[in-house]
Amino acid sequence: MMFDLIALTLIQKALLAATLLGVMCGVLGTFVVVRRISLVGDAVSHSILPGIVLGFVVSSALGMNRNPWVIFTFATLVGLLSMLTVRQILATTRLKNDAALGIVLSGFFGIGLFLKRSLRPYMESAGGLNDFLFGNLATIAEADLKAIFIVAILIVITVSLLLRPFILISFDVLFAKTLGYPVKLLNLVFYSLLTVTIVVSVQAVGVVLVSAMLIIPASSAFLLTDRKYHMMWIAMGFGAFSGLGGCLIANSFDDVNVPNGATMTLTAAGIFLISYFYAPNHGILAKWSKQRKLERVVRNENALKQLYKSLGDDAALEKSVTLSEFASMNRFSEKEALSRLQSLVKHEYLTVSGKLYKLTSSGLTRAMQLVRNHRLWELYLTNQADYPSDHVHDDAELIEHVLDEATVKQIEAELGFPSEDPHGQPIPKPQPSREHA
Amino acid sequence: MSFIEYVLTRPFAGSDNGLWYLLMAFSVALPCSLLGCFLLLRRMALIGDAISHSVLPGIVFAFLLVKDLSSPWLLIGAALSGLFVTVLIELIHTKTRVKQDAAIGISFTTLFALGVLMVSVFVGKQTDLDIDCVISGEMTHIIYYDSVSLFGKEVPEPLLISYGVTALTLIFLLIFFRVLTLSSFDAGLMASFGVNPKVVHYLLMAVLSLVVVTSFQAVGAILVIALLIIPAASAYLCTHRLKVMLLLAAAHAALSSIAAMYIYVSFNCSISSAMVVAGLGLFCLAWLFGPVDGLIWKWKRRYLLAETYDLADRDG
Amino acid sequence: MSTALETHDLTVTYDKKPVLYGIDLEIPQGQLVGIIGPNGAGKSTFIKSVMGVLPVTGGWVKVFGEPLAKNITRVGYVPQRGSVDWDFPVTVMDVALQGTYGKLGMFRRVGKKERKIASEALDKVGMLDYAKRQIGNLSGGQQQRVFLARAIAQDCDLYFMDEPFVGVDAATESAIITLLQEMRAKGKTVVVVHHDLQTAPEYFDMLMLLNMRLVAFGPTSEVFTKEILQKTYGGKLTILSEIATEAAKNDLTKTHSKTP
Repeated sequence: MMFDLIALTLIQKALLAATLLGVMCGVLGTFVVVRRISLVGDAVSHSILPGIVLGFVVSSALGMNRNPWVIFTFATLVGLLSMLTVRQILATTRLKNDAALGIVLSGFFGIGLFLKRSLRPYMESAGGLNDFLFGNLATIAEADLKAIFIVAILIVITVSLLLRPFILISFDVLFAKTLGYPVKLLNLVFYSLLTVTIVVSVQAVGVVLVSAMLIIPASSAFLLTDRKYHMMWIAMGFGAFSGLGGCLIANSFDDVNVPNGATMTLTAAGIFLISYFYAPNHGILAKWSKQRKLERVVRNENALKQLYKSLGDDAALEKSVTLSEFASMNRFSEKEALSRLQSLVKHEYLTVSGKLYKLTSSGLTRAMQLVRNHRLWELYLTNQADYPSDHVHDDAELIEHVLDEATVKQIEAELGFPSEDPHGQPIPKPQPSREHA
Repeated sequence: MSFIEYVLTRPFAGSDNGLWYLLMAFSVALPCSLLGCFLLLRRMALIGDAISHSVLPGIVFAFLLVKDLSSPWLLIGAALSGLFVTVLIELIHTKTRVKQDAAIGISFTTLFALGVLMVSVFVGKQTDLDIDCVISGEMTHIIYYDSVSLFGKEVPEPLLISYGVTALTLIFLLIFFRVLTLSSFDAGLMASFGVNPKVVHYLLMAVLSLVVVTSFQAVGAILVIALLIIPAASAYLCTHRLKVMLLLAAAHAALSSIAAMYIYVSFNCSISSAMVVAGLGLFCLAWLFGPVDGLIWKWKRRYLLAETYDLADRDG
Repeated sequence: MSTALETHDLTVTYDKKPVLYGIDLEIPQGQLVGIIGPNGAGKSTFIKSVMGVLPVTGGWVKVFGEPLAKNITRVGYVPQRGSVDWDFPVTVMDVALQGTYGKLGMFRRVGKKERKIASEALDKVGMLDYAKRQIGNLSGGQQQRVFLARAIAQDCDLYFMDEPFVGVDAATESAIITLLQEMRAKGKTVVVVHHDLQTAPEYFDMLMLLNMRLVAFGPTSEVFTKEILQKTYGGKLTILSEIATEAAKNDLTKTHSKTP
């Protein structure tokens, strides 16, 4: 019974830490993604390994076993040193950004692994050092949790105090400079916060995968919203969810020790996958269905226009057409003609009584709009954009379906409210439909 | 024992296998350093990083099927997942508004996490494929494999495979040297000759995956990026000639392999991390003294310049 | 006079934004043609898409009456100087030799003949003395000359040059223009992206005025008029670019091709 309780609190501790880290990474990750420095985050996270090892050694030398504050301090210092090295390489050599990051990332990580093995005699216990590679919350100690908690709160407070300047330097550095913001200082603060965030998260996620927690939740949020504050909140939510979910999944394996970093990353990746397909505006499926819908609209509207033209522009409302007439007019098969007509009836552009199809007034309006759009666009291309008049029909066939009323008004105004297209055809003036009013 | 004798025999003092380790280290470092030159010039160091992380799930998956770390199926699995990550990156950053850097980060961390999860859940502790191996490899384990009799010596099989891949890489670079150079320098001109630069890109990625996976057991999935970039970067700081750069990178590979043996026996670390430390040391030397970009020469020039101005001031 | 380049309804979108829209053009052989237009008008895009460096969204291109692939060795391309990495570890000679790769193929060895061609080309632009230099150590004008030498080594009948006069000294500029005139005298056609309106009428036989669409194309004396220039450089056609962006975003071109 007692063991159960301890196990429970341990898991609770782990969950709490995972959630906190998720929130923290979500906030910083938002900036990382919009500033396009994802790979800087990756480089820093690999580079802090020597700092962690040194932290272990110094803790031991001071007579403590893995003191979180000592480890954080050394890891942060080494993280900042790695960024400084990248800057120095870029400033003094012809090496490019990617190479500088690659050298520092792998070089520091290699030194870390070297120190990890060669300094083992100087560590009280090297136990737990491996947890920093891939993350392990199951063994988290009270002191670690406290440290994570304090740092997380400090980070969130600092970011919320500096939110506006941070957003400004992320989106528009030049503007921030003209406003007199101390951009260099702000960047220093930002990169320090980023380093600290990575350092604190490392115990849960591990040096190799901590960049995933920065990049993936924020990228998912980026697909879901266009507004920066929303993005930050969503990234925080996803970060917390990934931390929590990853921790639960890792704990659900009883017999094997599953690294939390891997499960958290995969949870975050799962969320990203869903956003990738289902995000309302920027998701693949949304784009795909929008495209299909447009194709359908174009097909239907072309049929409508044909019908309208074949009925004769005048008094189109009074006349009607049969299926076979419509089919032969358009050289459609009967089957195809029927499906077009039915779909137009569904859109209330046509009514059907017996075998006769008739335009409704909204159908007439839309048909006239299409003809007007077509002829206006042809006129615009020839008059304003200097295209030869025998060259504009195909383009207008496409554009007529996407011109909205506001643009049409603009075009009319620019053309001086014309009444004829370049081929001498009249431009109709449809009245907005009143049927539904 | 004289000092020279001591220095020469030091790396091989601990065991009889020192020579095999050295040869293995070099055979891994050499193809990496040469391919790395082209990665560096194409500004693709981080794509190399992404690929080296991403081959992991392919390796683990193939290993689970065949249970043999030296099986050629691992090569195929790794090459497929290496190719898969490049496709994944394209799918994310061309189809959505997520930018390329984030797309790289998302793709390779996800695949790597998948690999780590598979290792920890499905692969037992008793095999060579554990978390430590993923991180830094185990070069010393090559002697536990079957060996082949060659010139009266028993040569470990992984060593022969590794030299085979090295030879393939060298042949590839010889044949495609001009194509790689031109597509790296001016892909537009290349395209205007009717040669699609994308084909060259994927070919290079395929060879890279091959090299990364053969070096996996020796140096792991992460440190290989150091073997790719650091020699190339060091050579780049020393010369303006591509051929010289390739030779220098190869020399860097040889020197850091040799130096790594000394570090390995002295500090009891893994050979792979010793290679990175040695390579980084050589990089720092190139950064300080490199004939083209050396800091020393820049400082000296600045000092001389300042002195000239001083003289001019005094004269005036 | 036969045609060197013909495009029909050439449309190029880049990153889902239209850059060129329905370009119809016929360039006769043996002309020096300048492409002028404001920034972002699609001048570079035009030659890149014609050369197959950028994919074409709609329309087609013919070179000497045939698709580009058939005559690819007759067409040379000089990219913008800024488009390559001048820190790249190659020498001046290496770059000039690249010009011979088109005819040589990608795998045959460079022989004496190719070296001779490259040396002569370098000599022609006055860069032979620098043959062994790394390209990063050259001035802007010298770099441009090396690019021209590479083009000469290509030995083509039709050239596309992207802003060869940008960032070069006066001596190089006049050397380049002499060279272009020499090429024309040999019956070659040279199409040059240019953005100095002062010198345009002096340098080119024909001008192509571009601003997303082809505003005018013809002999310089006919098209270099105040009215046409105003049309080209004057206010952007916001509606055209907005609507075309909308159409490109929706892949409307694809939609259309599927409907009968």
